Amino acid sequence: MESTVSRFLKIVLVVAALAAVIWLLSAIRSTIVLLVISALLAYILDPFASYLEFKGLSRTTATIIIFLALGGVVFTIFYFLVPALSHEITSLQKGLDGKTTSQLFDNIESFIKETIPLLKGQQLNLQAEMQKGIQNLAESLFAILVNLVPLFTSVIIIPFAVFFLLKDGRDMKKHLVSLVPNRYFEMTLNLLHKVDIQLGGYLRGQFLDSTIIGVLAIGALWILDVPYFVLIGIFAGLANMIPYVGPFSGAVVAIFTVLFSHGSGQEVLYVALAFLIIQLVDNVLVQPLVLARSVDLHPLTIIFAIIIGGQFFGMIGMLVAVPAAGILKVTSIEAYNSARRFNLI
Amino acid sequence: MSDEALWANIFKQKNVVKENMFTVLKRIPVFQDLGYKELRAVERILHRRHYKRDEVIFRENEPGVGMYIIEHGKVHITVGRENKLLVLLSNGDFFGEMALILSGKRTASAIAHEETSLLGFFQPDLFNLMETNPKIGNKIMFRLSQMIAERLRLGTLENRQLKARLNVLQSELETLKKGKKE
Repeated sequence: MESTVSRFLKIVLVVAALAAVIWLLSAIRSTIVLLVISALLAYILDPFASYLEFKGLSRTTATIIIFLALGGVVFTIFYFLVPALSHEITSLQKGLDGKTTSQLFDNIESFIKETIPLLKGQQLNLQAEMQKGIQNLAESLFAILVNLVPLFTSVIIIPFAVFFLLKDGRDMKKHLVSLVPNRYFEMTLNLLHKVDIQLGGYLRGQFLDSTIIGVLAIGALWILDVPYFVLIGIFAGLANMIPYVGPFSGAVVAIFTVLFSHGSGQEVLYVALAFLIIQLVDNVLVQPLVLARSVDLHPLTIIFAIIIGGQFFGMIGMLVAVPAAGILKVTSIEAYNSARRFNLI
Repeated sequence: MSDEALWANIFKQKNVVKENMFTVLKRIPVFQDLGYKELRAVERILHRRHYKRDEVIFRENEPGVGMYIIEHGKVHITVGRENKLLVLLSNGDFFGEMALILSGKRTASAIAHEETSLLGFFQPDLFNLMETNPKIGNKIMFRLSQMIAERLRLGTLENRQLKARLNVLQSELETLKKGKKE
């Protein structure tokens, strides 16, 4: 009888503790996102630090050198891009004021009528239809601006966290592993190693691929004199993580932007061609070199991961969704395999 | 006894722990070629694990990830379901080194015979060491291959002796058979 009571008490306590942990995690979820992003970045940078260590530097010196180099790159990017970016954002806001919108929609309407002969005689009434969309867009832009406040703290905290994770990450990992009970210790070590091998290539590959596509898109759109080329390029780079839909959506956004501003069919053709070439370069040159095929996520998984990420953590959640889904997949598969090999299940 | 007094002292002074860890490591053939600084680098990747009496360190047929060095305590190496004792290892001994190179299944079980403190040296860490510090990695790999080559040599010698003995026994058997027929 007594044992039943104490057992019941134990269960109640465990459930209460679990609830407390879940509540705490959800309460500090924005901090967790920061930590996850920092850990991802530190993980991506780790081979560079290891390489510098191999060249005979200490881990601390290696980390400092990487940070100096990264600081240089970020400074250069901002030096060149911030004027362009701020110009883009202000002109985007002006564009939403409505002075030029009707003209823009007339442009698009006539373009559609020209290209699709079936619609020639019909009244499209695009402007009224899209007015709602614009309203929504303006609202979500406002939401993004509100999101910029925590973004500012992230800009300070993330590099700080990345620095220490890169410098002390291995010791932290060792300390964490030392907490694992003896029975599961070797299995955990084995698991971490296997996950590391698979994920390392995958995450670094994804990051590199997105960066290359983003830079190529920004370059191409800049040459073609497409407005908002920086924003679209960044979007195209990030969207490229999503198979099939991703590369396509980057191109679609660019083409719509061209329609909004110029409305010339030739321009649209050039932009489409540029994206086609970028995709060819990506598929033939970049992806075979940088992407590890070991983590194959189904497109549907990716899309749902992005939706879920967005629901829980907003914009940043959507960004982290694809790598997070990869981590979850590899870890759970390897954990299951390891547990079976060690006769735990 | 003097050993015990020494170990009892260790937990009071941190430096003594370090020095003793080095003397333990220095005695391990795998780390023989390493200098003080290199041993410190190795020390950073070793995992210190504590086991109670009769606690399993690893089981036969489970995947092995690396080797263990006995810092202090005693370890039984056993085989089979009935846990047939192969050898009793103590301070400064090491076991499981094959798993550093061959990530296969463990060929025996290891069980702590008393309160035991082990230093674990594992394959992933060896790989990392080979990448970030190839000089140390090479020295360790060379010693490991030497140990395996030595074992192969001994195995071949034993094999040869057994074959010779088998031949002798076979010829004896044949002469016996011939004798019976006649």
